[in-house]
Amino acid sequence: MKNDQSLSTLIQVRNLEKHFGDHKVLNGITVDINKGDVVCVIGPSGSGKSTFLRCLNRLDEPTGGEIIFDGVNILAPDVNIDLHRQKMGMVFQQFNLFPHMTILKNLTIAPMTLQNRPREEAEGYAMDLLERVGLKDRASDYPLQLSGGQQQRIAIVRALCMRPEVMLFDEPTSALDPEMVGEVLEVMKELAAEHMTMVVVTHEMGFAREVASRVMFLDGGDFLEENTPAEFFANPKNERLRDFLGKVL
Amino acid sequence: MFDDFKAQFILNFVAEDRWRYLANGLLVTLKLTFFAVILGLVLGFGIAFVRNVHANTGKLKILDFLCGLYLTVIRGTPVVVQLMIIYFVIFGSVRIDKSLTAIIAFGLNSAAYQAEIFRSGIQSIPKGQMEAGRSLGFSYFQTMVNIIMPQAIKNVIPTLLNEVITLLKETSVAGYIALEDLTKGGDIIRSRTYSAFMPLLAVALIYLIMVIILEKLVKVIERRLKKNEK
Repeated sequence: MKNDQSLSTLIQVRNLEKHFGDHKVLNGITVDINKGDVVCVIGPSGSGKSTFLRCLNRLDEPTGGEIIFDGVNILAPDVNIDLHRQKMGMVFQQFNLFPHMTILKNLTIAPMTLQNRPREEAEGYAMDLLERVGLKDRASDYPLQLSGGQQQRIAIVRALCMRPEVMLFDEPTSALDPEMVGEVLEVMKELAAEHMTMVVVTHEMGFAREVASRVMFLDGGDFLEENTPAEFFANPKNERLRDFLGKVL
Repeated sequence: MFDDFKAQFILNFVAEDRWRYLANGLLVTLKLTFFAVILGLVLGFGIAFVRNVHANTGKLKILDFLCGLYLTVIRGTPVVVQLMIIYFVIFGSVRIDKSLTAIIAFGLNSAAYQAEIFRSGIQSIPKGQMEAGRSLGFSYFQTMVNIIMPQAIKNVIPTLLNEVITLLKETSVAGYIALEDLTKGGDIIRSRTYSAFMPLLAVALIYLIMVIILEKLVKVIERRLKKNEK
């Protein structure tokens, strides 16, 4: 049962294309993301990896292809994307917490407004998650009173409070001071250990190697190589990937 | 010299209770400013909202065009001309309270400026805020109402208060439609006593005091708002 679930496909991406005017960012990407997968997407800057991630929940509007999420093609014109986004948590490079709300309000406004959860339930769930990331005592603070690492952990919790089926991470540690990267990766590792489906755009090769179930290399708008982390880092086949790994490792 | 000053003072303000022209005028000025600001606030907010929705979603095309036209016309013509057009042309044939006419005129005028203030306030909110709201599943409107607007309004409160200061001074042209505001009150005294110095200086002083108070208020509020953030 458990096994069946972990094998079923959550997101099917078919020929995903995105171009800005004449500039092609994604050239027909096809990939399956299974339940429980931790997919790390790596590649040089400008390779389209952030765009790929942002197309998954249509923060960037794809110009072609299909994304089938939970059996629904969310690129169809009559789809209410807001409903599907509730099931896709997203964590941004710049945290993007709401600075005018307390931490607790940041965490509860979406579940209470969009899922009609009663306040006690939403707050209880938020406090539980806060406790797990070690920030329970900051619930009544405002985001700007927190360090970058703390803000990013809150941002992860904010997305989790919607009880999403997949978490999208867009370079979640790139804006952090080096000493704060670890605490955020730690939370992400815990999530992965709980079989949360995750798509992570990252430059943290250590994290990809250790946590990912699959690593993908994106360059020039194409997925050039995909493999288990062990194979991916030990025996890269694609020449550009070898070149890239040579530079970053 | 002092006797002269005293005599002038008595002549202009005490005799025949002439100070009442200033007091009543001040009330009219405050009333005009207050209600015009409210009207401008509501209208300006609406205009800014329409223009922002259009800029981000492409919807409300006709409404956006009308708003743009409105801003161009209002900001491209003097307020006193607008006041006279509304009083003598638009409401020329109907009997309508002069104060109400002035409130409408100044409110419509202020709306154009407040709309731009709101719009810049909305634009000052980082793009990531809208993206974060949308990524949680909020619609564009829900994100605007819950996340963007509260921050934008907070950011523009000082600028809006400066608009109040501007409007307070701009209502001094209300005399053009024979409304007895503060300025007109001083002018009436001048025309009765044939001395310009005292009444006009008093008028200026009263405006100045009100502006200084408002500016102090702006500073206090600015400080409060900053404190909330950290």
